Amino acid sequence: MPLDAIPVVAVPPGLRAGELSGNAPALLREIAEMVRRLLSSGDVSAIDLQALPLTPADLEWLREQLGEGEIAVTLNADGESSLNETACPGVWWVTHRNPKGAVVSEFLEVAFVPEMVKAQQDDVVIGLEHLELLISDLS
Amino acid sequence: MHGPLIETLARQGVTRRTFMKYCATLASMMALPPSAGRAMAEAMASAPAASKRPSVIWLPFQECTGCTESITRSHSPTLEGLIFDVISLDYQETLMAAAGHQAEEALHAAMAANDGKYLLIVDGSIPLGLDGAYSCIAGKSNLDTLKEVAKGAAAIVAMGSCAAYGGLPHANPNPTGAVSVSDIIKDKPIINIPGCPPIPTVITGVLAHFLTFGSLPELDQHGRPKAFYGETIHDRCYRRPFYDQGKFAKTFDDEGARNGWCLFELGCKGPVTYNACATVKWNGGTSWPVESGHGCLGCSEPDFWDGGGFYKALSMPADPLKLAGKAAAVGAAAGVAVSFVNRGKKSAAKSAHETTTLADLEK
Repeated sequence: MPLDAIPVVAVPPGLRAGELSGNAPALLREIAEMVRRLLSSGDVSAIDLQALPLTPADLEWLREQLGEGEIAVTLNADGESSLNETACPGVWWVTHRNPKGAVVSEFLEVAFVPEMVKAQQDDVVIGLEHLELLISDLS
Repeated sequence: MHGPLIETLARQGVTRRTFMKYCATLASMMALPPSAGRAMAEAMASAPAASKRPSVIWLPFQECTGCTESITRSHSPTLEGLIFDVISLDYQETLMAAAGHQAEEALHAAMAANDGKYLLIVDGSIPLGLDGAYSCIAGKSNLDTLKEVAKGAAAIVAMGSCAAYGGLPHANPNPTGAVSVSDIIKDKPIINIPGCPPIPTVITGVLAHFLTFGSLPELDQHGRPKAFYGETIHDRCYRRPFYDQGKFAKTFDDEGARNGWCLFELGCKGPVTYNACATVKWNGGTSWPVESGHGCLGCSEPDFWDGGGFYKALSMPADPLKLAGKAAAVGAAAGVAVSFVNRGKKSAAKSAHETTTLADLEK
């Protein structure tokens, strides 16, 4: 029996995957405010998309509105994460996945470069030690 | 970002980016602002290293092991497993390999070695009836054990509704004289993590907070962490729009139920229940009671068991006298047989006992 033959609806209409809840457009204004803050004071900020009552259709709408930018970063750390710039430079769509590929958290980050993309000081130190080891092996 | 914990994790192949990702996700689950993720990563990274892992002692009292079952399901993000490697779980009857005298030895050794510093987790209520004889471990009543172990604890986590409020053993008429941890221990910081059982992520989240900041999180009037128990089920419920529109399911198989309308009239306790089920969900975010079509029982609230029937709507409190009057009036109007009156009495007695069957719901 196909699923849609069962006359019980777990997710009510208006909140179904294909329908907009009307909550997404307000986010555009908030993002614009965050970008203004980034330009004036350099403050980075983020919106936790999972904390908001957004349907998959809302997210899709938002993604379409913001568009795709020039940079797409893939991070392989305990599952794959993507940090993609939108068509609005400085606005990043960040999706974290677990090793099984399920989305564990999703953010809109407003920053020149997301913090997580930068190499961390201590990781760089470890990298330098590794380089020195490579060099010492040369001779 | 550096410190003993991050060094330990780095040795296990965890990069700082992985750690930041974990903290960002944890902050999201704890309903904290996104900026908190970075702060957590910083604070957590400098937590104590493996050489001095904080000792955790877990005492089970009058309980069903459901809370233990729940926490063992929280390991699927592998980093939470790592966090647990960072804690030294020195006594947990169900999970530990040792038994009998060896287990008791482990308990006392951990208490002596970490005096004043260990975290005590308690699940289950403490029976005071018959001098505590209803529940004993190693020949000692739960009351004596709790007092003894609590003395050297830095803080106590009351895990589940039994430890937090007395729970089901405390339900009227409370035959064993069950009480909560906070009824007995008055001189230690106590954090309540109620729920029957609590959500796994909430349990590990609170422990992570203890590791992160070395202190207990901000609590509400029932001693619950506000991060998880700050909002009602109703306020974060995906069926909330139907409540606002006045669309309610009246029975479990009517049009409204099939359309996924609000379960308020079927007794959902969402409006008065503070918990994170609506956002964190269960079984790795698969679903939660309301999503599977049943109202909230209110299991994270004190005395939820004695709340007047799981299927009675909140706005219609149980009133056996009124029901009895109605039944008697029906009998009088019919002007007949004793059997009728008896039936009325029976239904009045039934409602006075707060047992509600599906047939009662259809009245």
